[in-house]
Amino acid sequence: MKEYLKKLFFYRELLLNLTVKEVKVKYKNSFIGFLWSMVNPVMMLGVYYVAFGIIFRLRALGMTRYEFYLLSGILPWNFFSLSLMQSVSAVVNNADLVKKVYFPREVLPLSYIGAASFHFLLQELVLVVFLLAFRVSLSPWIFAMPLLLLLQLVFTAGLSLYLSALNVFFRDIQHFTEIALLAWFWITPVVYPISFIQESFPAWAERIYMLNPMAHIVLLWQRITYNSPVNGPQAAYFSVEGFVYAVVLSVFLLLSGYYLFCRLEGRFAEFI
Amino acid sequence: MTVAREIGARLVSDVPALELRGVGKCFRLYRDINRSLKEKVINWRKRGYELFWALQDVDLTVYKGETISVIGPNGSGKSTMLRLMTGIMKPNRGSIATHGTIAALLDLGAGFHPDLTGRENIYLNASILGIRKKDLEPIFQDIIDFSDLGPFIDNQVKNYSAGMYVRLGFSIAINVNPDILLVDEVLAVGDESFQAKCLDRISRLQESGKTIVLVTHNADLAEAVSDRVLWLERGRVKMLGDPQEVVEAYHEAMSTRPEGTEFGNRDIVIESVQLLDGEGRPSEVFRTGEPLVLRLRYTARKPVEDPVFGFGFYDRLGLMVFGTNTRLREVDIPRVEGGGVVEFVIPSLSMLDGRYYVSVAAHTRDGQVNYHWLDKKYCFEVTSPGRDSGYLTMECDIRIYPRG
Repeated sequence: MKEYLKKLFFYRELLLNLTVKEVKVKYKNSFIGFLWSMVNPVMMLGVYYVAFGIIFRLRALGMTRYEFYLLSGILPWNFFSLSLMQSVSAVVNNADLVKKVYFPREVLPLSYIGAASFHFLLQELVLVVFLLAFRVSLSPWIFAMPLLLLLQLVFTAGLSLYLSALNVFFRDIQHFTEIALLAWFWITPVVYPISFIQESFPAWAERIYMLNPMAHIVLLWQRITYNSPVNGPQAAYFSVEGFVYAVVLSVFLLLSGYYLFCRLEGRFAEFI
Repeated sequence: MTVAREIGARLVSDVPALELRGVGKCFRLYRDINRSLKEKVINWRKRGYELFWALQDVDLTVYKGETISVIGPNGSGKSTMLRLMTGIMKPNRGSIATHGTIAALLDLGAGFHPDLTGRENIYLNASILGIRKKDLEPIFQDIIDFSDLGPFIDNQVKNYSAGMYVRLGFSIAINVNPDILLVDEVLAVGDESFQAKCLDRISRLQESGKTIVLVTHNADLAEAVSDRVLWLERGRVKMLGDPQEVVEAYHEAMSTRPEGTEFGNRDIVIESVQLLDGEGRPSEVFRTGEPLVLRLRYTARKPVEDPVFGFGFYDRLGLMVFGTNTRLREVDIPRVEGGGVVEFVIPSLSMLDGRYYVSVAAHTRDGQVNYHWLDKKYCFEVTSPGRDSGYLTMECDIRIYPRG
């Protein structure tokens, strides 16, 4: 394991370069380039405003600024789901490289996550600007953003190391991931507030619901980017146990995922 | 401590750069690859594959500063060996130790992204090869110069021609200056001037004491550039040692299986071809300067007007050394029917040492229709007294005029 980490450290520039490549390539040949990353949430905000504010006239569950609530949860969710979707097939899609050059293969899935974080950070920036512009009050919690980002990165990286390694041997995984993410989205409090679950389901069901680490991560994002008291106490729901659980699980996933990845790595070239 | 030993003109150390100990690599050949979970579950009992040993019991020590070539027919395990050396694959048996940085020229331009410019791809590709930015800066210009791409370096790689692509890839790989360079068949690409440049660069790398492992089909190239040659056959080391000896033995073994073909409409069938020496005895070995008679026996199933009989000698690279026919020699054959014999009598063979292949043919005067063509189906050996070098012997008088 130490050997592998040493190698990964030696190839850190490759990780950076591949990440930069992903970022560059994504909007290459498009006119406004990476501004798309920023335009994207603006457009989403507009669409949600029209859909929920005007068409459905939904002040969902007593929330006055539902668009912002939705955005503060959906951006980290999209970041998670995009990272996972791309990194799950990272090794398989780079078969040429894997078969012909030696380098630590984990940089492949990690570079996709790196590129996705770049876009995510731009989007968060836009969100904060909009919150300020629409005078939705920010709390000092906003400064915990880097820590929360780190937590989500650890969780995503752990999971994608598992999936991208196993996907080499069972291509079903990439198809399954697609469906699983769809289901996962609806068992995470992105569209509806957590109070909805707490009020409509028995306590044991809620406990099962809270086993989902993404629920805690998304709740934390909502807590730090959208914590206005006008949205009721539930919008600011925060459980210490939930946070500790998410941290422990993420670290465990990363360590065991990395271990598994390194174990299987040697056989990638012949299997692809 | 470095004990130097001499190979040819260069000094090679006794310090190992690459050590392979009892290396074996086994592949699973899947009958029908079970890649989906369902198939895996259904067939969990059946072992859906056969084991195939691509390499077995390979022991090899490559010394620092040495150039080793690996030759062998297709499927002999050459490329697998190179991949094991780079670490792309792990051996199932034995161990591989490397001392120093390795760069492999396995596939040029692997990892180029079509949407990035040549310049951007240099950064990306170099880091794939494990080169840090600070080590890249000083050689960056060299890479661009060597690739001969000029202003195209700032164009997207997707607009490159195949040749440009490969040139850039080679240029990166060869300029990154590794301790050990692994080269796989890449010299077969690019135009002649670029190939010459590559060979020149390789010899400069040799001079600067780099270790090079070259995998090639071209045994003559191997003989020309290496200190030692390794001959792999079905995953095992068949021979390892002096380039000349190994390559000679290799050619010997390869040419015992002439892969001749024959075609034609068979209005005339060449029934047999004989190579006879001066006394009229069939032979396979001739000496330079001695006679050779090529005797063809043919049968014409129906009367054929104005046929032409001919033959050609080819060297082992397939180049025609000599050839002629009855039309060129203005020997008219108005008509053949039934059986017959044509003899080509060469009073004195001009070729020097080597193995030569023989093609014989019967065709129409204009060469449009082939009655029967036996392409390189026969071969013979020429030995020469060793007075000359090159391909041919010639009459040559030497006159010396002392000054005065």
